[in-house]
Amino acid sequence: MDLFHNLILGFGVAISPLNLLYALIGVLLGTLIGVLPGVGPVATIAMLLPITFNLNPVSALIMLAGIYYGAQYGGSTTAILVNIPGESSSVVTCLDGYQMARQGRAGPALAIAAIGSFFAGCVATLIIAVAAPPLAEVALKFGPSEYFSLMVFGLIAATVLARGSLVKAIAMVVFGLLLGLVGTDVNSGVLRFTFGIPELSDGIGFVVVAMGMFGTAEIIANLDLKDKREVFLSKVTHLYPTKDDLKRSWASILRGTALGSCLGILPGGGALLSSFGAYTLEKKLSSHPEQFGKGAIEGVAGPESANNAGAQTSFIPMLTLGIPGNAVMALMIGALMIQGIAPGPQVMNEKPDLFWGLIASMWVGNLMLVVLNLPMIGMWVKLLTVPYRYLFPSILVFMAIGVFSLSNNPFDVLIMAVFGVLGYVCVKLECEPAPMILGFILGPLMEENLRRAMLLSRGDPFVFFQKPISLGFMVASAILLIIVALPAIRAKREDAFAEESK
Amino acid sequence: MRIKSPKDFWAGLMFIGTGLFFAVWSYAFYQMGTAVRMGPAYFPFVLGGLMVFLGALVLIEGFVFEGTGEPLRLPFNIIDLIIAIAVFAVLLELAPRVGLSVDWGMIAASAVVSVLTVLFRPEAKALVLISVACLVYGYSMKPLGLVGATAALVFISAYGGHEFKWKEVFVLFIVLILFSYLVFVKGLTLPFPMCPAAFSFC
Repeated sequence: MDLFHNLILGFGVAISPLNLLYALIGVLLGTLIGVLPGVGPVATIAMLLPITFNLNPVSALIMLAGIYYGAQYGGSTTAILVNIPGESSSVVTCLDGYQMARQGRAGPALAIAAIGSFFAGCVATLIIAVAAPPLAEVALKFGPSEYFSLMVFGLIAATVLARGSLVKAIAMVVFGLLLGLVGTDVNSGVLRFTFGIPELSDGIGFVVVAMGMFGTAEIIANLDLKDKREVFLSKVTHLYPTKDDLKRSWASILRGTALGSCLGILPGGGALLSSFGAYTLEKKLSSHPEQFGKGAIEGVAGPESANNAGAQTSFIPMLTLGIPGNAVMALMIGALMIQGIAPGPQVMNEKPDLFWGLIASMWVGNLMLVVLNLPMIGMWVKLLTVPYRYLFPSILVFMAIGVFSLSNNPFDVLIMAVFGVLGYVCVKLECEPAPMILGFILGPLMEENLRRAMLLSRGDPFVFFQKPISLGFMVASAILLIIVALPAIRAKREDAFAEESK
Repeated sequence: MRIKSPKDFWAGLMFIGTGLFFAVWSYAFYQMGTAVRMGPAYFPFVLGGLMVFLGALVLIEGFVFEGTGEPLRLPFNIIDLIIAIAVFAVLLELAPRVGLSVDWGMIAASAVVSVLTVLFRPEAKALVLISVACLVYGYSMKPLGLVGATAALVFISAYGGHEFKWKEVFVLFIVLILFSYLVFVKGLTLPFPMCPAAFSFC
């Protein structure tokens, strides 16, 4: 009955008028940026981080979480109606969703996407509520050596699931770890890598790095592509799916939800991986695979459920272990730290209102999305006709004002611009910025735990292989690395990402 | 030896350079300590070494495997980068000597780099103008106020896009400055100066 009790507490927090308002703002903003191609949830959340400073922690997290799963809803709308993924996780929805729209069945496609997402959202919320407490309890027993090994595992897994070269992804993680060390060393008080710049003595601001790497870099990269966005808008008529549609898609929704929930928990997982995995699964299991790519409703139902489930379950490692699985979760941890809350398993016990309020708000937010989005589709579609040349200066204004307001110091804006250029160069060299951000946020933590573990073991590095849990993480990391390095799997992995990026 | 994949080649060099820098710098300036009591240099030194190793792997890949995807096209080269950094260094050094603040030094350097880019490296327009627009925004906030800074950001960045129409951008600027004023200055009460510092009346 503990669960029941906790959920009541959570809903009590989530349906307070203020939090309802922030959940609404979050899901609306999320849908908005989901609909608009070229603006992602990572950049948006980074943009809003400085503002959350003025909010209380619960409202801030509720709003930011709403942006992430709201973006999954919005992304599918653009994918189905315009054949452009509004969000990277809705790439596969384009395949069948747009074909359905061309056959005049945009309404059912949108409705199935919304129903699937809502169902997945409800299940994923429940999974978080059930799975998180025991996991946090285990994590509370972790010592420094277990934590260090867990972080190694998390970072390795995140690189394995990243696209592109594995070695480059690991190098980016190390780069992030190093950047995270800039500033005052907590143990000795020595200023490291600050070059006499007083602004760097507190370290490089996380928000500033994230905005540069994901915000300005993204805008520059978008402007580099000279794409003419073709907006083909069909009138959306009869929204309701037929009985046959429902019969064909309910199993896909179930499968997508299950798969997405599992993949979301993995480090490096989340919405993108889930939707892609679900599409492949549906195509494999279907009795008529030839219909895929020509408007099969299963190809919309499965991935759309999966990306929403994955988006939500990726909160589990962040909430229970304090370890971010993807870039959005790294930002969430950043938001917690801005509020002065140390992320980790103790959050659940020390701040039950925050923890359960956030979980309950996800269900509330999902409900809002279904109720609001289907009738408002016309409005979102109109937004698509706003040209990018109005959007990007506006985004820049918000980013610059946000970064400047962090400490009213132009130096932060300078750092953002520098990381923008760096992020752009990294994208050009096919080095993913996401692993770097994970490393950046874990750098100081990792050093701290390594130091403590080594102090406790009197300098014996084998301590990481002697404790069972720690050994388990180390072995799992090694297995992951070996598996990915095997030529056969390597080729398959590249295939998978190649198909995805088409 | 032929570079088969320029992307891997340059990425490898970038990693090796960064790793070397962190390793050498920490070795030279901070205490290493022992494995039991790690000094401030220990972790960055190890990570720097690891990064050099990984960078070397990527570099070798660049010589062995044929590159995939679209070919590498960076809109600038090393010399451009050095020139840009030199402009900033010289003007930042010069500004205090002629009695101007660092802010004006940054603005002047940004202007010079932007003009050079538009004239000689039009393909790097987006990259340079977007970055410079942010810079100018930050550094002109004090001397020019929110209105001036926003104008600089909107006009410079819009010029970095594909189409630039004065009228459109002006309307966009008006909308954005109104929004900034209402939401950030009035709503969130952020302490931004609205007008240039020289105008004491507003």
